[in-house]
Amino acid sequence: MWKVMLKEIKELLRDRKTLFFMVALPILVFPLLIGVVMFFAGKAVDKAENKVLDYAVVGAQYAPALVEDLAASDLFNQVMIDEGQDIAAFVKSEQADFVLVIPDNFSEDALQSGQIELSLYLNDAGLNMVRRRLDKIVDVYAERSQQKAFASLELDESQQQALIEPIVIKKVDVADKRENWGEKIGGMIPYFIFMLCLQGAMIPATDLGAGEKERGTLETLLISPIERHKLVLGKFLTIALAGATSALITVSSMAVWGLVISQGMAIKMVSEFMSAINAIDFVLMFLMLVPVVAIFSAVLLSLSIYARSFKEAQGYMTPLVFAVIVPVMLAMLPGVELKGGWAWVPLTNVALAIKELIKGTMDYFQLFAIFSSTAVIAGALLYFCVYWFNKEKVLFR
Amino acid sequence: MIEISNLAKKFAVENPKKLSDQEKKDPRLKGRFFHSVRDVSFYCESGEVLGLLGPNGAGKTTTLRMLSTALTPDSGEIIINGTNVVTKPVVARQMIGFLSGSTGLYGRLTGRENIAYFGQLHGMSEEQIDAKISELADILDMHTFLDRRSENFSTGMKQKTAIARAVVHDPKVVILDEPTTGLDIMAAQTVLDFIRRLKDQGVPVIFSTHHLDEVAELCDRVTVIHHGKTHFSDSFDAFKAQAEGSLHKSFMHVINQGA
Repeated sequence: MWKVMLKEIKELLRDRKTLFFMVALPILVFPLLIGVVMFFAGKAVDKAENKVLDYAVVGAQYAPALVEDLAASDLFNQVMIDEGQDIAAFVKSEQADFVLVIPDNFSEDALQSGQIELSLYLNDAGLNMVRRRLDKIVDVYAERSQQKAFASLELDESQQQALIEPIVIKKVDVADKRENWGEKIGGMIPYFIFMLCLQGAMIPATDLGAGEKERGTLETLLISPIERHKLVLGKFLTIALAGATSALITVSSMAVWGLVISQGMAIKMVSEFMSAINAIDFVLMFLMLVPVVAIFSAVLLSLSIYARSFKEAQGYMTPLVFAVIVPVMLAMLPGVELKGGWAWVPLTNVALAIKELIKGTMDYFQLFAIFSSTAVIAGALLYFCVYWFNKEKVLFR
Repeated sequence: MIEISNLAKKFAVENPKKLSDQEKKDPRLKGRFFHSVRDVSFYCESGEVLGLLGPNGAGKTTTLRMLSTALTPDSGEIIINGTNVVTKPVVARQMIGFLSGSTGLYGRLTGRENIAYFGQLHGMSEEQIDAKISELADILDMHTFLDRRSENFSTGMKQKTAIARAVVHDPKVVILDEPTTGLDIMAAQTVLDFIRRLKDQGVPVIFSTHHLDEVAELCDRVTVIHHGKTHFSDSFDAFKAQAEGSLHKSFMHVINQGA
C-alpha cells in the first residue's frame, strides 16, 4: 500500500501541470487576480473623487450664499442652464453632472419657512461623489438654521436632542464581534474549502485511475501480486493527501495575503477576529475535513477508474462540483442549524460545524453525529471503491 | 508447465442494439451474453514456446487475460506448475510475467523506476531489484536510457523497458499478448530475441500473434482458436502438415475445418 502511495506521490510531484494547479495557482494567481481587481477598483474611486463636477443651479436667487459656496469649491464647475429648459433632459444629455433646484422658500429660519426641499437632478446609476460633496456644503446651512430655531425657542441641550430624535431604539447585541462576523462569512468559508479540496483532488484522481487505463499500465498493475484493496488504498491516500494539501496551501495563502493586504487597513479587526478562534477550533475544523476529503477522494477514484480516458473522467467529475454545492448551500440557508437531523446530513453538517466553530458557538456534542455520519459514508464509499476495482466490467471497458 | 482446460468466459452485453451486424451473426452471442471464450484447452511444457493463433475477435486476448489473472474465468482450469491460477490468483501472479502489445509505462518515472516499482510490488528487496535491473540492462542493452524519464522513450526503448518490467521477478511462465503488433522491425526483433532467451532458460512462453513467420521461427507448439473454441492444438510440425505449401494455408485449413 505504501509502495503504491509513494510511487504515485513521486509521479505527482514530477508533474508540473498538477503542481501548478495545486501550489502556484492558490499562492500566486488568486491573490494576483484579487490584487488586479482591487487596483482597478481603487483607480475608479480615485478618479471619481478627483473629478471636477459640472453643475447648474435653478433658483439661484433664493439662496445666493449657498450658490456662492458652491462656486467657491474647487471640485465644482458651474455651467449655465436656460430658464424653462427641461432639467432632466439637460442632465441626461450630459451637459452637467447635476442640477440643483432651490425652492423659493429657502431661508435660514426653519421655524418660518418649514422644511426646505432642494431637488437634485443627477444620473445616480454609476459611482459618483455628487451627494457627498453637496451634503458637505448644504449641511452647514441646515445646521445653522437648526441652531437658530433652537435658540429662538430657548431649548436646552437635552430638549434639542429630544426634538431631533424623540424616540431612539438602542440596540444591545448579545452576539460578540466574533459571532457577528462568523455568521456573515462563516457560511462562505466551508464552501471555499470544500471546492478547493475537490479541485485539488480532481487532477491526481484523473491521473491515478483513467490515466492508468489510457497509458495502458493498468493491466500490468492489476496482475502484480498486490491485493486489490491495498492498491485502492494507496491510490486513495494519494488523492486524499493531494486534496488536503491543496486546500491547506490555499487557506494559508489566503490568510497570509489577507494579513498582508489588511496591513494598515482593518488589521486590528482581522487580527482580533482571528485570535478569537482558538487553536482547538482550528484543529477540529481540520479533523472534520479529513472524512470530507475521504468522501471526495473515494468518489473521484471510483469515477476515474470507470472512465476510459482522461477526457471521460473529466466529464464525469464536472457535475460533482455542482453536487457538492447543494449541501453547502443548504448550510447557508437561514434556519438551518446544527441541530437534530441536520447534524447527520453529510457535508451540510461539516459546513454548519465550521460555521459554528468560526462563530464560537459550537455545540461540541454534535461532533459525534458529524464524525460518525461522515466517517460511515466515507468508509462505505471506500468500500465501494474497492468493490469497484474488482469489477472486470469497470476495469476492462 | 502450464495446462489450460475447458476455459470459458462470457460478458454481459450492455446494449444489444449497438452491436454490429457481424457481431449479431456471431454464434457466441446468446441472449444478453456474449460468450467470448467457450472452450479453450492447450498446454505448454517447460522450454517450449506456444504460439496462439486466431482471427481478430477469436478470444485470444480474453484467454491470455484469464491466464494472467486479470480476468476470472467462468469455468475451466489453469494450472501452472501445479498451482491453480483460478483459486489462488495472488500466488499465481508471482509466477507469471505478462506483456501486452498495448502496454505503457509511467511517463514521469525513469525506466529504472518503472521496473523497480513492479519489483517492489512483487516483494523484492532493494538489492535484488538493483541486481536484476543491471542484469536485464546488460541483456537488453538499456544502460544509455535507463535513468531518463520514459515519456521521451522511442518505441523500442519502451518495449525493452516493458520486457524488463515483465520479467523482473523471474517468472516461471511468460505470457505475451501480440507483443510485436505495431512495433518496427528492430523493436520486434528485440521481443523475438527475448522470447528465444527465455526458451533457452527453460521458461515456457505463450504468445499470441498474427505473424506466421514468427511462429515458424520460434514455436514448438501451435494453438488455433476461432469463435472462442480451440480448433487446433498440437506441435508446430503437425500444424505445418495441415496443408501443403505455406503456413497460411495450414491456418486457413484449420479455421475452415472447424466451421
